[in-house]
Amino acid sequence: MTLVQCLLLASALFSVGVYGLITRRQAVAMLLSIELMVNAANLALVAFAKYAGAPTQPLVLFTLAITVAEVAVGLALVMLLYRRYDDTLLDAASETKG
Amino acid sequence: MNDPIFLAALALCAPVAAALFLLVAAPVRHRGAPAAGVCVTASLVALAAAVRLIFVHAAQGDARWTTTWISAAGKPIAEVGLHLDGASVSMLAVVCLVALCVQVFSVAYMHDEPPRGYGRYFSFHALFLFSMNLFVLAPNLLQAFAGWELVGLTSYLLIGFYFAKPSAAKAAVKAFWMTKLADMGFLFGLLWLFVATGSFEWTTKLAPEVAVGVTLLFFLAVVGKSAQFPLHIWLPDAMEGPTPVSALLHAATMVAAGVFLVVRADPLFAQAEATREVMLWIGSFTAVFAACLALVQRDIKKVLAYSTCSQLGYMVAALGAGSAFAGYFHLGTHAFFKALLFLAAGSVIHAVHSNDLADMGGLRKKMPLTTLTFVIGALSLAGIPGFAGFFSKDLVLATLEGRANWVPWTMLMGAAFLTAFYMGRVVCMAFFGALSHKAEHAHEAPLWMSGPLLVLAVPSVGAGFLGGWLAHLLGAHYETHIGLTPIVASTMAIAGLLASLAIYGRRRDASVAGAIERLDKASLVDRAWELGYRRALLGVSGVLGWFDRYVIDGLMNFTGYTTIEAGAAVRGAQTGRMRHYVVAVVLGAVLLALMGVL
Repeated sequence: MTLVQCLLLASALFSVGVYGLITRRQAVAMLLSIELMVNAANLALVAFAKYAGAPTQPLVLFTLAITVAEVAVGLALVMLLYRRYDDTLLDAASETKG
Repeated sequence: MNDPIFLAALALCAPVAAALFLLVAAPVRHRGAPAAGVCVTASLVALAAAVRLIFVHAAQGDARWTTTWISAAGKPIAEVGLHLDGASVSMLAVVCLVALCVQVFSVAYMHDEPPRGYGRYFSFHALFLFSMNLFVLAPNLLQAFAGWELVGLTSYLLIGFYFAKPSAAKAAVKAFWMTKLADMGFLFGLLWLFVATGSFEWTTKLAPEVAVGVTLLFFLAVVGKSAQFPLHIWLPDAMEGPTPVSALLHAATMVAAGVFLVVRADPLFAQAEATREVMLWIGSFTAVFAACLALVQRDIKKVLAYSTCSQLGYMVAALGAGSAFAGYFHLGTHAFFKALLFLAAGSVIHAVHSNDLADMGGLRKKMPLTTLTFVIGALSLAGIPGFAGFFSKDLVLATLEGRANWVPWTMLMGAAFLTAFYMGRVVCMAFFGALSHKAEHAHEAPLWMSGPLLVLAVPSVGAGFLGGWLAHLLGAHYETHIGLTPIVASTMAIAGLLASLAIYGRRRDASVAGAIERLDKASLVDRAWELGYRRALLGVSGVLGWFDRYVIDGLMNFTGYTTIEAGAAVRGAQTGRMRHYVVAVVLGAVLLALMGVL
C-alpha cells in the first residue's frame, strides 16, 4: 500500500462517516458515524507516520483517549435524550428552532 | 463648638436631616404636629449654630472648607463646601432667624390644615432652609447654582401648596416658568465662565467682553429670581401660597437670593461696567413701576408683593451703582421688616378670613398687637427716620447721589414717596376707620403667631444701627451723615405718609382714591408675556416636538424595525435539527477546502 492508497481509504471512511451522520436519525448510529470519522483521521495520521516519516503517531494515542471520553459523554447524552423524549431519534430535540 | 466649619455644617445639616427624615418617615409626616416639631427644632439648631458662628467668625476670621466634586481626566472640575466670610455668616443668621420666626408663626397659622398637609408644609420648609443655606454658604458659583435651583423648586412646591385650587396651581407653574426662563441665564453664564476660565470661582479675572456677557447672563437670572421688570409678574401671583410662605420665600430670603448672588459675585460684576449700568436702570425703573402698581391693589398681600419688587429694585440699583454693601444692607433690613409685614398681614387674614382690604378696617381695636407690629413694619418700609429701613434706603440713595446722571436718584426718591403713600393707604384701610362687617368677629392672634411678630419687630426698628458692624464684616465703609439725600428721603417718606392719611384717613377722599384705583395696568405686562409665551414659545416647541417625534424617534424606530424584520427573514435557517447543522458544517468545510485549493 502506498501513502496515496491509504489516504484514499481514509477519505472514503470519512465520507461514509459524514454520510451516516447526515442520514441516520438514531442518536447511537450518529455516534458510530462520528467514530468512523475519527478513525479515518487516525488512519491518515498513522499513514503519514509510516510513509512520510511525520511524528504523528503519538497524536493517534491522544485521539484515541479523547474519543473514549467523547463516547462516554455521547452515550450519557443519549441516555438523557431517551429519558426526556422516550426516544433516541435526535430530531425530537429541536427546541433550538428559530 | 468653636470650629466655624462645624457650626456652618450644622446649620446646613440640621434642616436637611429634618427634610430627609420627614420625607422617609411618612407616618410622622402624616400626623402633622410631630413634623412641625421636627422642622422647628432643626431650624432652632440651625439658628443657634448661625448665631454662634457670628461670634466665632468675629474671633477667628474667614474660613473655607471644600472637597472636590466631579473629577474628570484626573483633575476636579469643581468643588463643593462651605465658604465663611462676613457676607455669608451674616446672611446665614438672617435666613435662619426669619425662617424660624416664620415656621413658629406657621404652627398656629396653618393649624386648620388637615394633618397630612400640615406635615407636607413643614417638610417643604425644612427643605427650603437647607437649600437657602446651601446657596448662602457656596464656595463657588456651581454650588450656588445648585442651591439656587433648589430654592426655586421649594418656591414652586410652596406656592402650589393648595394645589387643589386651580389658581394656586397656575401660579406655581407660572412662577416656575418665569424663574426657569431666567435661570437659563445662570446656566449659560456658568458654561461660558467655565469655557473661558475653567473655574467657577467668585473672584475669577475675565477678559472685558467675556465679563460683560457672563455677568449679563447672571443678571438675567437675578431679574427672574428677584422679580425685576419685566420678569416680575410671577411674584404677585405667588401670593396664592400660604401667607407665611410669602413672608419667608417671596419677601425675605428667596427673592433676595438674586441680590445676594450679585453681592457674592461682586468681583465679577466689578469687571463689567456695562452690566452695572443695565442693573442700575432696571432696578430704578422696577422700584418706581412696582410702587405704582402697589398703589392700586385691593389685596393686602399683593400690595406687599409689589412692594417687595420695588424694594428689590432699590437693591439692584445699589448694586448697579457699584455698592454691594448698600444693596446687601437693604437686603438685610428688608428681610426683617417685610417678613414682619407679611406675618402681620397673615395674622389679619387669619382673623378676617379674607385678603381684600375692603373686608378689613378698624382692626386697631380688635388686634392691637398686630396693628402695632404692622405699623412698625410699615414705618420701617416707608423709611421714616430712626427705623431700620431708613438707614439702608438712605445708604442706597446716597450711593446714587454723586453720579453724573441724576435720573436714577430722582426715580428712587419718587419711589420712596410712593412707598410711604401705599403703606399709609394699607394701614388706614386695614386698621383704622370704621369696623367692617367681616372684622367684627376678629380677635388677636394666639401667642404662637404674635411671638414671631414681636421678635421680628425688634430688628425692624433696630437693624439700621448694625450698619457699621455689617460694613466692617464686608470690608466696606459706612457712616451716617446729614446731607442732601437723608433730608430729601425723609421728607419724601413723611410727605407720602401725610398724603395717604389725607386721602384715606378719617374723611376718605373717594374721588382721588377712585382715580388711583383706575390706574390698574398691571395686567398689561401679564398679557404681553402671555402672548409671547403662547405664540413664540409654543410655536417653537411645536416645531421641535415634530422634529423629535418624527425625525429623532423615527430614526430610532426605523433601526428597531429593520432589526426585527431582518431577524424574521433569517430565522428559518435555524431548524433545530442536528443533521441540518452537520450539513452546514460539512458544506463549510468543503468550501474552505476549495478556497484552499484555488
